Amino acid sequence: MEYEWMVRYTPQREWIEGQGVLLWLAFFFSEIGAGIYFVSLFLNFKAGWLVGWLVTLVLGGLIHLGFLGHPMRSWRILLKPASSELSRGLWVIFLFGVIGFFQILPVVFSGLPWTGESSTMSTIMGILCILIITHGFLTMNVVRALPLWNSSMIIPVSLVSGIWVGSQTAELMLKISGQELYMSELWSRWSLLSYMAVLFVYLWGTYHASDTAKESIKRLLIGDSAVRFYIGVLVIGIIIPLIITLVVWGNGFEELSGGVLFIRFVCVLIGDLTMRYSIMKSAIYTPII
Amino acid sequence: MARFGMVIDLRKCIGCWSCTVSCKEEHFLPRGMFWNRVLISESGKYPAVKKEMYPVLCNHCKEAACVDVCPTGATNKREDGIVVVDADKCTGCRYCLIACPYQQRTPYKDDKVEWFPGQGFTQFEILGRTLYPLQKGTMTKCNFCAERIDEGQKRGLKPGVDNDATPACVISCPVNARIFGDLDDPSSKVSGLIKVRKGFQLHPELGTDPSVYYIN
Ligand code: SF4
Ligand code: SF4
Repeated sequence: MEYEWMVRYTPQREWIEGQGVLLWLAFFFSEIGAGIYFVSLFLNFKAGWLVGWLVTLVLGGLIHLGFLGHPMRSWRILLKPASSELSRGLWVIFLFGVIGFFQILPVVFSGLPWTGESSTMSTIMGILCILIITHGFLTMNVVRALPLWNSSMIIPVSLVSGIWVGSQTAELMLKISGQELYMSELWSRWSLLSYMAVLFVYLWGTYHASDTAKESIKRLLIGDSAVRFYIGVLVIGIIIPLIITLVVWGNGFEELSGGVLFIRFVCVLIGDLTMRYSIMKSAIYTPII
Repeated sequence: MARFGMVIDLRKCIGCWSCTVSCKEEHFLPRGMFWNRVLISESGKYPAVKKEMYPVLCNHCKEAACVDVCPTGATNKREDGIVVVDADKCTGCRYCLIACPYQQRTPYKDDKVEWFPGQGFTQFEILGRTLYPLQKGTMTKCNFCAERIDEGQKRGLKPGVDNDATPACVISCPVNARIFGDLDDPSSKVSGLIKVRKGFQLHPELGTDPSVYYIN
């Protein structure tokens, strides 16, 4: 009823329901693509550059466009980088597209006068990747009206989860191409442990931030989103990958078959998607009266 | 330059929804779209229960969250403090809607919605599409009847004083619960009421500095 508008805690809907689902997917793909690129830079795994670049631009970019009411006007989003996080994000993705193109070109075409391996280029791309990984949550973080998103710990969650999923994808690709997994498995271990830590600190810190933040966390942990959170984020996204990671850690690399890697990869993907969905879905506004 | 604002007297409001209806009529708003609402709050415990009417609309915040986040400049603040949306520049990203703590924005999603479902558009709806066309896929919100204010001022009228230069919700209120005027003019009626009757804003802690004040 119209007279009941915003008189209770009200969930945000526009960025998660209906067409809003596209934004959730767009943030996910942009960030995961950048995560793959980032980890592949460290592993010097060039196929990962290409895959990460394509996932970010093609999947992330196209889905973003699908979300807009007027996609043909999307160029206008570049116009206000001084105040709008969305505008800054698009500039970062634009630079990632252009500089990444020149870094990847020698991977696809031989005989070019540059290799794409220059440390300057890799450093710039690394920074751009970090900015893209955090872009979605940064965009949400500036919304003071939604304390669940306005928490300072949401950026570390986003950064670590992007790297965690990126590392899984890169590791799977390394396995398929028959390459050494030692370094990538180290990345996986530490990013999983860091992910668990930052997620816990985020939930705990936000719970104690304000009444509305507390309500949001309750929605997430014991309310509408609880089943999704415990099954998707906790069991599939953390516990199963943790068991696999610990077994591999204890028993050595013999346990790391392609099948095991694939299962962990799928779990991490589901866990990350669910984590992002739950956080977008559980954000609530304070009643206005 | 003036900074327009509104004072709403909660003691006078009788919850008749005239403001809601006149706003819809003034802007030919489709079914389901409201730029003006009257909320009902209940407080206390039986038998000392109190019922209050809270008319709400866009607060035309001085530090508007919606203006800050809009990536295209479609949502912008005029010199007179009125926050407006330029539909031609709007991409429909809905960032402004998410950022507004008062949830006073409505995306125009479906241009097929009829006032009487299945009956076709009424003459009034058809007229509205010519006089006040909304663009599908863009954001809409209360504009303090900026078109009335602009037209009135061109004719030398004073907003808040002359009806033809004053928002429709203000002039349609049968009990004068809404008062409109220049917040920057210390001699205006709105400034006086805020000062004398201790006008308050909704959620001032959010730092948006609303231009709509309430008195009780
Ligand atoms: S009430 Fe909301 S829509 Fe209106 S100016 Fe303030 S932030 Fe913007
Ligand atoms: S929906 Fe339109 S007005 Fe709102 S932030 Fe996006 S471009 Fe700006």
